[in-house]
Amino acid sequence: MSVRSEQWSPTTAPSLRDSSLGASGLPVSSLPETSLVPLPVAAPKGTAARALALLWARLRAISLHHAVSERHGGLVVAGMLAATGAFFLWQSLFLDLGNLDLPGPGFFPLCLGLGIVLGSIVIGVEQWRSSDRESVELGHRDVLVAMAALLIVPLIFEPLGAYLTLGLFGTMLLVLIARVPLLLALAATAAGLVACWYFFQVLLGLQLPHGPFEMGPF
Amino acid sequence: MTGFHQLMAGFSVALSWKALLYCFIGCLWGTIVGVLPGLGPLAGMTLLLPLTFGLDPTIGIIMLTGIFYGAMYGGSTTSILVRIPGEAASVVTCIDGYEMARKGRAGPALMISALGSFVGGTISILGLMFIAPPLAKVMIAIGPSVEVVLILLALGVIAVVSAGSRIKTATMIALGLLLGTIGLDNLTAAPRFTFGQAGLTGGLSFAALAIGLFGLSEILMNLERTETIKAIRPKLKELVPRWQDLKDSAPAVGRASVIGFIFGIIPGVSHVVSTFVSYAVEKRLSKHPEEFGHGAIAGVAGPETANNAVTGTAMIPLLALGIPSIPATAVLLSALTIHGVQPGPLLLTDHPEVFWGLVASMYIGNLILLILNLPLVGIFVNLLRIPYTWLVPIILIISIIGVYSVNFSATDIWIMVLSGLAGYVLRKFGYEVAPLLLALVLGDRLEENFRLALTMSGGSYATFLDHGAVIVLTSTLGLLLAVQALAWAFGYRKSFADEAESA
Repeated sequence: MSVRSEQWSPTTAPSLRDSSLGASGLPVSSLPETSLVPLPVAAPKGTAARALALLWARLRAISLHHAVSERHGGLVVAGMLAATGAFFLWQSLFLDLGNLDLPGPGFFPLCLGLGIVLGSIVIGVEQWRSSDRESVELGHRDVLVAMAALLIVPLIFEPLGAYLTLGLFGTMLLVLIARVPLLLALAATAAGLVACWYFFQVLLGLQLPHGPFEMGPF
Repeated sequence: MTGFHQLMAGFSVALSWKALLYCFIGCLWGTIVGVLPGLGPLAGMTLLLPLTFGLDPTIGIIMLTGIFYGAMYGGSTTSILVRIPGEAASVVTCIDGYEMARKGRAGPALMISALGSFVGGTISILGLMFIAPPLAKVMIAIGPSVEVVLILLALGVIAVVSAGSRIKTATMIALGLLLGTIGLDNLTAAPRFTFGQAGLTGGLSFAALAIGLFGLSEILMNLERTETIKAIRPKLKELVPRWQDLKDSAPAVGRASVIGFIFGIIPGVSHVVSTFVSYAVEKRLSKHPEEFGHGAIAGVAGPETANNAVTGTAMIPLLALGIPSIPATAVLLSALTIHGVQPGPLLLTDHPEVFWGLVASMYIGNLILLILNLPLVGIFVNLLRIPYTWLVPIILIISIIGVYSVNFSATDIWIMVLSGLAGYVLRKFGYEVAPLLLALVLGDRLEENFRLALTMSGGSYATFLDHGAVIVLTSTLGLLLAVQALAWAFGYRKSFADEAESA
C-alpha cells in the first residue's frame, strides 16, 4: 500500500489495526512505501531548489511506523526491568546491609531489587507463554520527531541558552508535527517565548540560562 | 479556636485576590485537560506543578486541587457531546450521556452532570472538613509501625484493584520504591546510588519524574491518535432541564454522593471504580432499567456525582495521614513537600492555614466550576477543534522550563525526557505507571518508619502486631496478600492445565 507523500499525515496514515497477519504469524506492517512514490515538487527540474525540495519531501515522508509482536516486545521490556533490578541489587551489596533485626541502608534496595528481578521473571514467563498474534504499534513518525527533539533539548539547553533552544525546539515541532509553514512557525514560537519570558522571568522571577547570546530582555 | 472559626479563617485565605485568581486558573486548566481527550487530571497537575514553586504553598495547593476537581467536571463534556471520555472517570458517562445528546437532550445531560458534580463535590468537602481533623488527632498518637502497615496496605490495595496485570503493577510499585531510595539515606545520611553525582544526593526530582512518566508519555501516546472529532453543540437555552429530569436525577445524585464519598478513601482507582458502582446501583434500583444505555438521566447523574464526590474524600488520607491514596494526591503531596509543608497528622496544628484555606477554596472552586461549565460549554467544545499537534509544543516548552526551574539543572530535563520515554514504552506494553509514582512518593517514609519501628522495638518484628489497630491492619494486609497469592497460583495452574489440554 502506498500513500502519496504530500498527503501523508496522522489522519491519512494507514492504520496498523487493518494489517493482515503474515506467514510467520506476525502482523505485516502496511506502511507508506515512500521510496517508491513519485514526489510532486513544484520547482523546475535540475535546479538546486528542486533537489532540496525533494530531499525535504523525502525526509518528511520517512516512516518507521511498524508493529512489534507484543510477546517479543514484552519479553524485551521484562528483560530490561530484570536488568534494572539486578543492577540495583548488585549495587546495594556495596552498602551496609545491617541485619534482619536492624536493617542498614542497603537492606531495603536489596529486597526491592530482588523483588523486581523475581517479578520480571514471572512477567517474562507469562509473556513467553502468551499468544504471538497481538501486536503493539511503535515508531509513529510524530512520536519519533518529538522524541528526537526532546533528546536534543538537554544537550543544548545550557550551552545555547533556554530561549534559543526552546525556540528551535518549538519551531521544529510546529513544522514537522503540526505541519505549519516555517515562517508562521517561527512567528508563533517567538510570540510564545515572549509570553514564557514574561510569565516565568518577569512574573515569577525565574532566571533561565541565556547562553552565549545575552540580548535584550532575555 | 473552633472548627467554624478555622473555616472562616480559611475563607479569608481563599477569598484573597491571589487565591481566587489561582483557584480560577486551576479550575479552568482542569476543565480544559478534562475536556481534551487523553489529558487527564494527573497529566494536567504534573504539567503545572513547576508553576507552583514560585507561589505560596497554600496558593499552589489551591491551584493544583482546582485542576484535580476541574478535570472531573470537564471530563463529562466530551463524554456527553463527543462520546470520548475526557478522562478515565468519565467513561461510564459516555453510555447514557451521548445517547441523550443524540436525542437532542445534550443540554439537560450537561446541566445535570454539572449540578451533580457540584452536589457530590460539596458533600465530600463537608466530609473532609469533619473527618480529617479527628483522624489526624488519632494518628498523632500512633507510632511508626502503624504507618508502615498503612502504607503497605495502601500499596497492596493499589496492586489488587489496578486495571492491568497485577504482577506488572506490583513490579512497578517495587520499582517506584527502589527509585525512591536514590539519594542520601534518611537515617544514616549514607549516599545511595548517587554514583558521585552531587545532583542525585537529594534523590530524583519528583517533578521531572512525574512530568516525564505522566505528562510526556501521555503526549507521546496522544500523538499516535488519528481520529477526527465531531461534537454535538447544544445551545444555551437548551441547557435547562425539565422538572422530570430533576426529579429523576435527585435520588441518583444523593446515592452517588455517598458512594463516591466511601470509595474516595479506598486507595487506587477510586474515582473510576465509584462511577461504575454508581451506574450499577442506579440501574439495579431503577424502575426502568431497560432505559439505561438508551439515554437514562440517572445514568449520567450518578457517575458524574460519584467521581466528584471522590475528590474531597481522597484528600482525607493525604491531609490527615500524609498518605496519598490516588496518583493525583501524590502530586499534591509532592507539591506540599517541596514547599516544606509535610501533610499528615501535624498539618492541622503546624499549618492550619493550608488545610482550612484548601477546604474553603474547594467550596469556592466548585462554585466557579458550576458557573464556568454551563454557559461556557460551547467554548470548551470548540477547544476540540484546535489540532492537538499545535498544543504539544506549548505544553512541552512549559514542562521543560518548569522542570529546569526546580533545581536549575539540565540533569532534571534528562530525567524528564528519559522517564517520558520509559513511561511511553511501559504503557505500550501494558504497565501502569501511576502505582510507580505513588510508591516513589511513599518509599522514603515506608523505609524510614520500618527501620525506625525495628530500632525502637530492639529489632523485634512483633512491633507490627503489638496492639489493636496494628493487629487489624496487619491481618487485613496479610489476608489481602494471601488471597491474591492463592488466586494467582490457582489461575496459573489452571492456565497451564488448559494449555496442556489444548495441546
